[in-house]
Amino acid sequence: MKTRLRPPGFVTSAMIFAYAFLYGPIISLVFYSFNESKLVTVWGGFSVKWYSELFKNEGLLNAALQSLKIAGLSATLAVIVGTLASVALTRFGAFSGRNLMQGILTAPLVMPEVLLGLSMLLLFVSMEQVINWPQTRGWLTISIAHVTFSIAYVVVVVQSRLKSVDRSLEEAALDLGARPWKVFFVITLPLIAPALLAGWLLAFTLSLDDLVIASFTSGPGATTLPMLVFSSVRLGVNPQINALATILILLVFAGIVVAGRVIRANKD
Amino acid sequence: MLKPYHLAAGALLSVLVSHPLAAAEEKLLNVFNWSDYIASDTLDRFTAETGIKVNYDVYDSNEMVEAKLMAGKSGYDVVFPSAFPFFARQIQARIYQPLDKQKLTNYGNLEEGVINSLNATDEKILDFAVPYMIAGTGVGFNRGKVNALAPGAPTNSWDLIFDPKWSDPLKSCGISVLDDSGEVFAAALVWLGKNPRSEDPEDFKAASAAIQRIRPNLRYIHSSSYINDLANGDLCVAHGYGGDLVQARDRAGEAKNGVDISVYLPVEGAQVVIDVMGIPADAPHPDNAHIFIDFMMRADVVGPITDAVGYANAIRGTDAFVSEQRRNDPVIYPSPETRAKFFTVPPKPQAYIRQLTREWTRIKTDH
Repeated sequence: MKTRLRPPGFVTSAMIFAYAFLYGPIISLVFYSFNESKLVTVWGGFSVKWYSELFKNEGLLNAALQSLKIAGLSATLAVIVGTLASVALTRFGAFSGRNLMQGILTAPLVMPEVLLGLSMLLLFVSMEQVINWPQTRGWLTISIAHVTFSIAYVVVVVQSRLKSVDRSLEEAALDLGARPWKVFFVITLPLIAPALLAGWLLAFTLSLDDLVIASFTSGPGATTLPMLVFSSVRLGVNPQINALATILILLVFAGIVVAGRVIRANKD
Repeated sequence: MLKPYHLAAGALLSVLVSHPLAAAEEKLLNVFNWSDYIASDTLDRFTAETGIKVNYDVYDSNEMVEAKLMAGKSGYDVVFPSAFPFFARQIQARIYQPLDKQKLTNYGNLEEGVINSLNATDEKILDFAVPYMIAGTGVGFNRGKVNALAPGAPTNSWDLIFDPKWSDPLKSCGISVLDDSGEVFAAALVWLGKNPRSEDPEDFKAASAAIQRIRPNLRYIHSSSYINDLANGDLCVAHGYGGDLVQARDRAGEAKNGVDISVYLPVEGAQVVIDVMGIPADAPHPDNAHIFIDFMMRADVVGPITDAVGYANAIRGTDAFVSEQRRNDPVIYPSPETRAKFFTVPPKPQAYIRQLTREWTRIKTDH
């Protein structure tokens, strides 16, 4: 007799619960973006007025653009620096200080955000006193702070990919007379490209999401979207934010689909 | 030794950075305010009149402003903290510059009552600050349910929360108070007919006893949940911030869900939060900041703001710029009698705060 390991329907119900757990809140957020009432959780009839109001709300749109700019810049910088660091850690043998470097690079993974934000703020303030820069804090200082913690995530992703890449490919290219730089750009980089993309997306998301560090390091004229959303809680979250979130979810979803395609195409 | 690349790096840095200090008063102003605290056209009007461009950022808590200003070089020219205890405490840390009253031509527009109330609590504060908006702490209640469960309840008094006669029957449909020990103790003190600023141990004990008596009637102690719950009809009586209660009332009206919320500032006296405008000591554009503060003391500017945000202002003669509906609202436009009973509470000594926090934690957890 065959014994069933699982009760019937277990997988299906587990899946339904898991998806409901993960996506229930998002669905309700999208749902209430079509709410007529100004109070997010009181249903007042169907309406798309918050979408049209959203496009008239300069502050909210500016904050969204600001966030995208900072996220794009910091993700790109973090991928460049993080990739160089990962190559150094995986390809350059046991140079002195390697363990220290590994530890320092990944420290922000476990560091509380408040600590990181405050230390960056104090750094910028004392830098201003010593080298007279940065005179104002703003999107640039937020980006720098974001690069600092994003590098850790990029290094984790890229390093593991580098370790799994077949080194004989690089050695063969070297054997055939390619210079190390050329090997890096022509052989290594294409091989780890999916990890770079994954690292970039991770860094981008983390930057877009960050509230604490941005609050500490921002200055006049640099309000990011999370800061604006959080500060509007005092008067109740406005459905315009639901509308904006719905649009962002659509964008992110599209981005993930594209990235997934690219990564899969790369594997084949 | 200075190497060429040092110079190059220096040049690069100076290109990257704008120089707000170089030109002492460029036509720019950095404002840091509470979110949703001005009318939609206020800044455009200011820029149109003065040619000064405004960078406008918002915050959600007094603590955030304090953290930014204390770290130094925040870059902001005008900030809007609450007068007590925040602004008063920050003056002692020397993070504000004294206002040049010569430059504030509209200073005479300020309402005397507000000036006196600020002066009475801290005589130094007016050297540094101009009052902006006033929010009373009051009570919001579900008219239908209160009438049904406690007919004849005095819906203009702290009795609704603190008197067991009314509070007990209302327990079943839900009462909430703010998670703010200072607010709740001050409310209990005025209900008992005592001075809400009192630090007397006997008064403290009496207030604590009054709160503990009605503790079982409280569904929760929270500073924002009541907005939604009142509007949805899930809560009967809420002790809350005036602006939030008005919002709950308006949303219930919009949703047409049969919930009728009324809001009042108790006759015994309501604690008020006065938000003030101040200029940080290291503000890059102090002259523009004075121009802005002066602009914000004009009736035709502040009136529409009161209309938009639903908070009372400190400027005389704004009636013409406030809609009928707002003017008839006793919370936004309190009567002179209510205004006369407004009180503020100055910063308390550390020992008292410690005692208060300990007692509050006990009350919150013990039920």
